[in-house]
Amino acid sequence: MTYEYAFPHRHLLGIEGLNRLDIECLLNRADALVDDPSPEKSLSGKTLINLFFENSTRTQGSFEISAKRLGADVVNMAVQSSSVKKGETLIDTAMTLNAMAPDLLVIRHGASGGVRLLSRKVDCAVVNAGDGTHEHPTQALLDALTIRRRKGQLEGLKIAICGDILHSRVARSNAMLLHQMGAEVRLVGPPTLLPPGTETWGASSVHTDMCEGISGCDIVMMLRLQLERMNGLYLPSKREFFQLYGLDEAKLKYAKPDALIMHPGPMNRGVEIDSSITESANSVITEQVSMGVFVRMAVLETLALNLDKERAAA
Amino acid sequence: MTKPHLLHNARLIDPATGLDEIGGLIIEDGLITDVGPHLAKPSGETASETTDLEGFVLAPGLIDLRMKSGEPGSEHRETLKSASRAAVAGGVTSMVMMPDTDPVIDTPALIDYLSRAAESDTVLNRIYPAGALTVGLRGDAMSELALMKGAGAILFTNADHPLTSVNLVRRALQYAKGVGARVMLRPDEPEIASGSMNASAFAARLGLRGLPVQAEWLGLQRDLTIAEMTGCPVIVDQVTTQRSLDLIADAKSRGTKVSTTAAAHSLFFNELDIGDGSRDSGKAYLTYCKVNPPFRDESERLAMIAGLKSGMIDCVVSAHDPQPPETKRLPFDEASFGAAGLETLLSALTTLVADPYYELDLLTALKAVTCGPADILGLEQGRLKVGTPADLVVFDPEKPWKCKREHLRSRSGNSPFDGRLLTGQTLRTMVAGNWVFDLKSESQET
Repeated sequence: MTYEYAFPHRHLLGIEGLNRLDIECLLNRADALVDDPSPEKSLSGKTLINLFFENSTRTQGSFEISAKRLGADVVNMAVQSSSVKKGETLIDTAMTLNAMAPDLLVIRHGASGGVRLLSRKVDCAVVNAGDGTHEHPTQALLDALTIRRRKGQLEGLKIAICGDILHSRVARSNAMLLHQMGAEVRLVGPPTLLPPGTETWGASSVHTDMCEGISGCDIVMMLRLQLERMNGLYLPSKREFFQLYGLDEAKLKYAKPDALIMHPGPMNRGVEIDSSITESANSVITEQVSMGVFVRMAVLETLALNLDKERAAA
Repeated sequence: MTKPHLLHNARLIDPATGLDEIGGLIIEDGLITDVGPHLAKPSGETASETTDLEGFVLAPGLIDLRMKSGEPGSEHRETLKSASRAAVAGGVTSMVMMPDTDPVIDTPALIDYLSRAAESDTVLNRIYPAGALTVGLRGDAMSELALMKGAGAILFTNADHPLTSVNLVRRALQYAKGVGARVMLRPDEPEIASGSMNASAFAARLGLRGLPVQAEWLGLQRDLTIAEMTGCPVIVDQVTTQRSLDLIADAKSRGTKVSTTAAAHSLFFNELDIGDGSRDSGKAYLTYCKVNPPFRDESERLAMIAGLKSGMIDCVVSAHDPQPPETKRLPFDEASFGAAGLETLLSALTTLVADPYYELDLLTALKAVTCGPADILGLEQGRLKVGTPADLVVFDPEKPWKCKREHLRSRSGNSPFDGRLLTGQTLRTMVAGNWVFDLKSESQET
């Protein structure tokens, strides 16, 4: 393969720190992979470790499939039953894994900044598969790829991200990426779930009225309501939330007729999104999952290429 | 009777009197017996032993109103010995030790134990134990304030366990006033402060939960209201915002007796020092900058410096809280609060003095670590006064040095100053007439 632009980062820790060229570089490669039925086994001989401190089936599986399609050897470390439970610190875990000399390390951690902390102690390339309430860069990339393939471009689109913004790493990464690419990002949610300073992520406006927020939008992106984090303090009830912020036919009418409906999954049907909407023609929710594999292939390949260059230079 | 010892050719600085002149000082039996410009040069009959201080500053030793030790209970974090070593290297000759150890210092027997332990030859400075205001610091029952005071507790505080019961605050202050016990309260409302850094847009972007300034104001308003109600003086433990200073000024105008402290690191750092990796990928989520109360925004940091200059802040504390790597080398939310601060207390202030931007003079800065805390605690030291203990520090206010955690004498090197260039360093420290620290001989050892 040939790259016109050399991705300048060793790790993918977040969208913050990436510029438009970096993002386009990854999206273009992913786009090419979508249309390539038999991609080159560019990760052949490479070892990837999936290290998930939080449970995940979709993201972990997506990374595993991506890596295997490119010929990598994949090891899933079951952290729940490992030495972490026996009190090993995160840094000791990192040093232990590093001693096994993997090439790629995919990490999800429950604490914001946890993946970055690990990345500082290892020699391989690290991909952040979600850290606390901070970032989830590959989700933002796959959302961008899905939108770009459907709408042709990101620039100038009006995109509403709705729901639990406060606890969402998807919202942070998506707002930063879409803003970077020239889209207008609106954030919609109840006041208790809207953090301060979202303009520093690139959000152009914040709305507590859902209809106002999605009015005229090209994309309506719903977030999962993290019920386990609610404690009864943020919201009175699921049904009240659905009434005000759940995406149903009535609210969807405010968006453009051809507005795409997105959700990072897993969905709480009847809480943030009405079941009938998930299967409508404009719903690209399953397409997002498919694009996830190509985006992760592109990311892994790009980082592996950089690693090879670095090793050759050393 | 020991022979008189003359320290001459020194820049005498005494914040209590505003003295800033070249002169000298005579020590006999651990006490200051003469001081002034007339002693600038040695003359044969004044002393049998003389030390030329080469024009460096000679000031009262620092008094730190708030430090923690790991001993008893967590000696791997810090012992009285290691804390005192760190303290004298920072010019701190007296310090008040917080009661949140294991066990909690909440009985007269434990105060007595600590007072005796502090007498050990391995402890290089004066340690004054503070007693727990409530039993076990649990906040549900008053501890034996009068008995502990009798055993030597210099003040009472719930340390980093802010009280949640207004009724208990009321009864404790009423009672403390009656028995003449000093009370120090940390202004906080823990109900709305369950995060790990200042609540702000920066915290939201980092995905970290916040400690809002409003928690400080709510706690402070409650404490000041009860202080006014009971007539009991209070020491406000570590303010971090301008509005807190305004609230205190308002309370004082109603006749409430309030003393105010601020942590040296809050004059020095703001929340951005935690780092988001944008400038240096290694500088993000720095847990050495995780303290409580947290670093606020830049305007609040400047307000603290202004408060020091105006005298609204009576006392600057080290807030020394040694934390080992096991509790600091963790993701930010999971790491412990606390920063080592004894060794950098003086240098933090001299660095601010050296920066012309702040227009902070040395006398004002030193007041908050000498006679300021001495007056709050009723101690006779903290001034260059005849008849008071010869607790002294000699320092070079202009010497540049780099703070490195591996060179710190504390058992835990969790200093936010790690890697920072500082201006002004302690050269020698004296407690009760004896030199307990000498930078020259220490650097030869290492």
